[in-house]
Amino acid sequence: MVATVARLWEARQFGLTHALASVATTPSANVYGRLIATLFETGSYMSEVKEQWGSRIGVIMAVAGSAVGLGNFLRFPGKAAENGGGAFMIPYFIALLLVGIPLCWAEWAMGRYGGRKGFNSAPGIFSVLWRHPLSKYLGALALLIPMTVYFYYIVVEAWCLGYAWNYLTGSLMMGKNPEAYSAFFSSFTGSDQDGTLFSSLFQPALICIAITFVVNFLVVYRGLSGGIETFCNIAIPLMAVCAICVLIRVLTLPANPQNPEQTVVNGLGFMWNPDLSVLSKPETWLAAAGQIFFTLSVGFGVIINYASYVKPKKDIALSGLTASSVNEFFEVCLGGTITIPAAFIFLGSTTLLSFTSSSFSLGFKALPNVFAEMPGGQVFGFLWFFMLFLAAITSSLSMLQPVMAFFKEGLGMTRKGSTLLMFVITCLGTGFVMYFSKNLAGLDSIDFWSGELFIVVLALVQAIIYGWVFGTKLGQEELDAGAELRVPRFVQFVIKYISPAFLIWILFSMLTSRDKVSGTLTMVKKLQDPIQLAGFLIVVGSMVLLWVMVFFAGQRWKREGRA
Amino acid sequence: MRLDGWVFMIASVSSVFLLVVYCVGKVLFYAPKD
Repeated sequence: MVATVARLWEARQFGLTHALASVATTPSANVYGRLIATLFETGSYMSEVKEQWGSRIGVIMAVAGSAVGLGNFLRFPGKAAENGGGAFMIPYFIALLLVGIPLCWAEWAMGRYGGRKGFNSAPGIFSVLWRHPLSKYLGALALLIPMTVYFYYIVVEAWCLGYAWNYLTGSLMMGKNPEAYSAFFSSFTGSDQDGTLFSSLFQPALICIAITFVVNFLVVYRGLSGGIETFCNIAIPLMAVCAICVLIRVLTLPANPQNPEQTVVNGLGFMWNPDLSVLSKPETWLAAAGQIFFTLSVGFGVIINYASYVKPKKDIALSGLTASSVNEFFEVCLGGTITIPAAFIFLGSTTLLSFTSSSFSLGFKALPNVFAEMPGGQVFGFLWFFMLFLAAITSSLSMLQPVMAFFKEGLGMTRKGSTLLMFVITCLGTGFVMYFSKNLAGLDSIDFWSGELFIVVLALVQAIIYGWVFGTKLGQEELDAGAELRVPRFVQFVIKYISPAFLIWILFSMLTSRDKVSGTLTMVKKLQDPIQLAGFLIVVGSMVLLWVMVFFAGQRWKREGRA
Repeated sequence: MRLDGWVFMIASVSSVFLLVVYCVGKVLFYAPKD
């Protein structure tokens, strides 16, 4: 006991985790001491073997896997069809060139620079990019977003698994009754009443979420190279194969016998026929820019973390562009040619229009109708939802890694400890989303605050830190080090001036947008709703928790002479 | 499907496809190995 107290006193001089570990190794150590030894490192973080990617292809696959998600197959076609079809691609490609790819490169450069200085988490990386006490607290935003988005993303991922399983067993082949699929969705997701997902331990959605959680945490527990990289190296090619199988099926579908006008070519026309008049509307540009953010994982805190594990002097310019282009391939070439044409043939333009505004309706209510009428629909339904499940899982893995990297290097936790802490936090957050399942309100609230608003804030912070603090000269040098692709100089101008201006405009538009019916500010209207307010408080509470952790991490780094 | 629809679709899909072929090809066949 005396030895334990003496060791704890050591904390004042040698740091908390060092002393905790010492406590654990004293002869009088009890079960708590041994638990602490399991959760915390005994030495400083710098003494550990630094994690790195196993191969170049591995990092590209992991970043592409992070970017390719449900948005590529469900959100993009819906947005394009709603906003002028082919004409939507004009602001889309402009946003890709002016904001998407330049900001991706900026994140890659900042990440690898931080990794070279011994940091893998955004608070640490920001503290070396900007030597200011506030910088690490700004970096906490890059932990908040992946962590809170994970709260609901895992739920949607579990739906994909559930739907894939139900196609495999044939339970989702329910004939030509659209109501049946809407009823199945409501019952499976609990969207008709709050708390139904917890009414029994054997709720299908609950089982799927448990399986998804286990798979996610097992993969991240295996580490960066042995877990995430290996998984993505298998999952991305498998996704491509599944998507191409479904694409071939869709493109070879005959016309609808009841409505001969509903052909695959006219379905492509529904998606791609341009309406150039939408280009004069700011909403179209906002929708295109939002889609680029969402799809490339820009402002998500993921790329900066993944890039920090790239070996110094290894290329990031070509790797960054390749990862982005693989994501675009899945989105434009596959997402843009599968979902809408398939739905058009069997549902027609009027019904389809009612589904395009919601990715979930398009994916989980409209498409099951399509598979029910399609020859071989059971197989293709399974392939489709299994592909969505893989797309979702490669994204959700990337949301765990940045936060776990911080727990390790900031709080001195072991891999086991950081996995366990992350598991507990995400279980609590996901519990909120699952409980408030009526009209998916819990999911929608966290998605709005974290997945829509804060990603723009983080992207803006990153653009300013890169362009105005770190400096475009250093940024260009970082991108050029080991580069196998010459990044044009004008990209630095774009990141310094155009991207921040574009982001400020998007943020301003979001903050000043008004509800179309009542005319009140969207933000105010959201906060008047109790569940939206609860979601907001969860996001803010998570931010405060992370700031407290960042404070202790800062103390630790100071003691170690790292910051 | 209208002619301009074909133009927008082919231009978008082919430009992305060419970009990914260029990048992946360069990574796999032209870049130095790890």
